[in-house]
Amino acid sequence: MTAVSPLRRVLEPILWFAGLLLLWQLLVRAFDVPIFVLPAPTDFLADIVEERQRLFYHGLITTKLILIGFVAGAVPGVVLAYLIAKFRIAERILYPIVIFIQGLPKVTLAPLMLVWFGFSDLPKVLLTALITFFPVLVDSVTGFKSIDPRQYYLSRSVGASWWQTFRLFELPSAAPSIFSGFKITIVIAVTVVIVVEWLNSQNGLGYLVLRAMDSSNTPLIFAVLVVGSVIGVVLSFGMALLERLLLPWRRY
Amino acid sequence: MAQMTETTQPLQSALGAHGSGRAGASIHAKGITKVYGQGGVSPFHALGPIDLDIKPGEFVSLIGPSGCGKSTTLLLTSGLEPVSDGTVEVDGKPLTKPISEVGIVFQDHLLLDFRTAMQNVLLQQEIRKLDAEKIRARAEMLFDRLGIRGSENKYPRQLSGGMRQRVSIARALVHDPSMLLMDEPFGALDAITRTQIRHDLEMLWLETKKTVLFITHSIEEAVGLSDRVLVMSQSPGQIVEEIKIDLPRPRPAHLGEYPEFSKYAERIYKIFAKLGVYKF
Repeated sequence: MTAVSPLRRVLEPILWFAGLLLLWQLLVRAFDVPIFVLPAPTDFLADIVEERQRLFYHGLITTKLILIGFVAGAVPGVVLAYLIAKFRIAERILYPIVIFIQGLPKVTLAPLMLVWFGFSDLPKVLLTALITFFPVLVDSVTGFKSIDPRQYYLSRSVGASWWQTFRLFELPSAAPSIFSGFKITIVIAVTVVIVVEWLNSQNGLGYLVLRAMDSSNTPLIFAVLVVGSVIGVVLSFGMALLERLLLPWRRY
Repeated sequence: MAQMTETTQPLQSALGAHGSGRAGASIHAKGITKVYGQGGVSPFHALGPIDLDIKPGEFVSLIGPSGCGKSTTLLLTSGLEPVSDGTVEVDGKPLTKPISEVGIVFQDHLLLDFRTAMQNVLLQQEIRKLDAEKIRARAEMLFDRLGIRGSENKYPRQLSGGMRQRVSIARALVHDPSMLLMDEPFGALDAITRTQIRHDLEMLWLETKKTVLFITHSIEEAVGLSDRVLVMSQSPGQIVEEIKIDLPRPRPAHLGEYPEFSKYAERIYKIFAKLGVYKF
């Protein structure tokens, strides 16, 4: 295996991506595709620059919802996973419920949530939480169950309390699996929030997409798409960074 | 690179400044038996009844075939598993729960991947809120004596098998326990590393005189380290013979130097043959 220089590792994908955009640009221009069907990259990139304030404002609102929804789903996910992994009775009671929730087509709950909670952020947060909950739970259960049972001999022989056992043995052992759940889920959360924003909002990226559709402003839709994927990339990159900071031993 | 650092500088057998400490404890076990899943549909009689009578500062090995209950004995004598029958006394006090006077070394080190070597060794201090300065000094001393100086800030995955096992020995000794329980501690190591670490353990023991209960598959290790070897039968294990090892210490790398060594080894082989552990 030949080593690839770091510069090349960064540059190569950027060049491929740029090449793809260039091809897109050329094809749209060559076949004279109408702008409301498929705008050329220059069209929506110009839109991003022009509409930057609006995109930033709505993007920020969406990001906030993503983070709140993610935390609201991930925290109960980890806690329940701990209970399921530790106590057989919790597993027997909770797992059927969890599987049922997982089987539910959750996005279809959106109208119901609107009926229950009205035009607030609550339905959006709840739905995001419901969707992020399950993958986090599954990965966390795997993590908590991966602990070598003999570690408990060790923790007991050094006289660790319940809390010390959790904090010093169980949580760090499960952390790599928990983070792999987090990394997948945070990206899913972006999509969920934008979709839910279609149903009910006065702001956010989803709302912006609807407005753009109403006025057949296809370049703006693409601009929102770009902003949305940038948010997704930044969040998943941030999660990877957080993992590196919190779990430094994972590098070895 | 890690392989190169396996060997360690010779240990001074004189008591160092930090060398001494709590003396060894006595262990008395009477008729201890372990039945797993007692009262269930298929109880498993894992051990006993066996008696143990280990004097303070004695080095005793338990040798026996796989699954004979050696590890169970260790769990019972540390209070980590309750006895199904019988009693265990450490220093004359009956054992009812896990005790802190003990240091345990498990077969595959059981270090925490997410803590550095030093953090692993200091874990007990952190949990029990022991005197940080004193424990730190002892940890430093043990890193020196066990030839792992320089690995303090490495994670277990960065260390070789032998170094990890040395770290776990340091962890077991850092709180100055009165007894050391070792469950096939060198089982996963290569023969060369095993011989060196065996010697290093012997030297450390000569200095500190902890009571050691050492569980092994290896006749060479048992005879090479112990004052006394207890030979166990197959499951449910019972002690079938006790052999006093009367060899001068420290014992050499090549135990064959002593003609008595082969006699001890032969005795153990014969017992195993009689028990049907070996079929030649």
